Amino acid sequence: MSALALLGAFGTLLVAGYGVLALLVRQKTRLTLTEQIAFSWLLGIGVVSLLLWIFGLFVQGVLLPGLVSIICLSLGFVGWRQTVPLSLGRRGPKPFEILLGIIVVIEIASVFYLSFVHTLGWDGLLNWEIKARYAFANDGIIPATYFSDSGRAFSHPEYPLAIPFTELWLYFWLGQADQFCAKTIFPAFYVVGIFLLVALGRRLAGRTWIGLLVAAFLFFVPQITVEVGSAIAGYTDFPLSVFYLATIGYLFCAAKPKNDAFFRLYAACLALLPWVKRDGVILWTVAAACGVFVILATRKSYRSLLAFFPGLLIICGWRFYLNAMHALQGSDFLPVNLQTFGSHLYRIFPLLSALLEEFHDLRIWSLFWFVVAVGVAYLLRRMRDPRVLVLVTALIVPIALYLSIYVFSSWPNYLDHVGLSISRLLMHVTPVGFLITMLAVSRRSLKNRARVHECGVVTCVIAGSERTPGVELA
Amino acid sequence: MTSRFSYGRIAHVLLWCGLAVASLWVSIPKIYSGVTEFPLRPTGPLHTSDSYLKFATGVSGLSKNLISIFQSTNASKRVIIFTRKDDTFSCGLGMTIAYLASPHLVRVFEINGTHPDNELSKMNPHEVAAVVFCRTNRPAWLPAGKVFGSGLEVVSMTEKVRR
Repeated sequence: MSALALLGAFGTLLVAGYGVLALLVRQKTRLTLTEQIAFSWLLGIGVVSLLLWIFGLFVQGVLLPGLVSIICLSLGFVGWRQTVPLSLGRRGPKPFEILLGIIVVIEIASVFYLSFVHTLGWDGLLNWEIKARYAFANDGIIPATYFSDSGRAFSHPEYPLAIPFTELWLYFWLGQADQFCAKTIFPAFYVVGIFLLVALGRRLAGRTWIGLLVAAFLFFVPQITVEVGSAIAGYTDFPLSVFYLATIGYLFCAAKPKNDAFFRLYAACLALLPWVKRDGVILWTVAAACGVFVILATRKSYRSLLAFFPGLLIICGWRFYLNAMHALQGSDFLPVNLQTFGSHLYRIFPLLSALLEEFHDLRIWSLFWFVVAVGVAYLLRRMRDPRVLVLVTALIVPIALYLSIYVFSSWPNYLDHVGLSISRLLMHVTPVGFLITMLAVSRRSLKNRARVHECGVVTCVIAGSERTPGVELA
Repeated sequence: MTSRFSYGRIAHVLLWCGLAVASLWVSIPKIYSGVTEFPLRPTGPLHTSDSYLKFATGVSGLSKNLISIFQSTNASKRVIIFTRKDDTFSCGLGMTIAYLASPHLVRVFEINGTHPDNELSKMNPHEVAAVVFCRTNRPAWLPAGKVFGSGLEVVSMTEKVRR
């Protein structure tokens, strides 16, 4: 029974997401099956959680999930009428790709196993699931008293609701709050992350095997799979990193003319960043700045600036809602102003040293950051390409901003604060690090156009190297 | 042919293959121990909070009992939770109790030492639904409540207790 209910919950999410995807793509661009599933999931999470929140302001009880279900099905109808064109390769997979595919499938199975073996992590239960549970017990709405209850300030009532309300959606279908079933969301994000890496590998590097190879290595970063706050722990850091991967990856693809569908996909994922986690505002700022740069560098229409409006609306709407609820504000940081910055400037060098120490921690990151550093060094020669500049900026600037935030930490020992959270913050940009690695590994293939043609798929490399983005629209 | 077998290409392939092998060499032991560390646990709607409470008190399936205790008290009154400032187990236990105590408002007191007599004596018993002691001691003047394993006691504030 639970399995059927979960199927219903996941099905409606995917159907709604597919409908939004169809509206964004407008039958103009071919997407691979993995891309379609990945975007259906990401957009479905965004749509369902936002609808539950917004409709929850007006209705509650059975009416709330009923209304959201109707909209999900209506969006599915739109998707059925405007099917997203499927991109199929001209050839079958090579033996090496099949082997890599099998490895990736085994890894995905292991992540599902790990997810069921472990309980929800501390924050997964007490910061995120708590909101879903309280909303479910209160007919789909988080009780107003929760936001101002000082005894539950530890659970950060000010955190946004994308993940808790996805859990709530599952609870509506299950008919009860269930900590075990709530965990199924997180390995699904891992699958989506893998799908996006494979698809972007194909687009950025022009070869499926590079995407598969890099995706296979995601499993071997301990912070992603087995460490505290990993993809299986019920924290929102990994989901946020997947949204950020989609945002930056498709901005890269949108940086060529006539790739407006990719730009719309970028805009949709960008808008959802601050809705997944509060730190998403920082990623939103960086990704939006990269978007402005791409608009200017590629002389896109100024109407493209409207892409930033939905994200701003979500940021302001959530802030307004918290004010209206008299929500308690977190006490982890001092007020951000020049005076505090000046008086805490001495922290910068210890913070940099802590960051370097984190990069060196092989138990948490293995050689990931070393590999990414090599990748960045490879790409230095190609920095004149705005797309490469965007990718490197999207990796480095969030790290710098995250680090600078600890200057304002109000913890008695700010280095404890860093030690406790920096690995999870670095996770947000980890998949972008994989994109950089992909580009670096495929350095040679960029010069070898014949090999690029071999795939017969839509790639950014084709568009980039031959100035024929129209191939993609065939 | 020249570009296909150039030194640059060979160096490129060797570098990335070397990095891949080294990454796997470092990662596999950690990932293997992570995958094999825990057996499959019993599943259930409260499996995470049950695990936390078992870790802190040694008692299995405690969440359901606690929820029914809190549900039997007046929902408009607060649950008071006492934890020890210097004891992370106590703080964690207190937060898990606060999670389960919905829909009550909660108030968590982090105290120095183990005796919350001062804080408790200042409270109006008519505004309290239950008092929870997380690895702290119940004052002798307060009637005994339900004790769960080591370090957790819940005193429901019935009319009798209030008097």
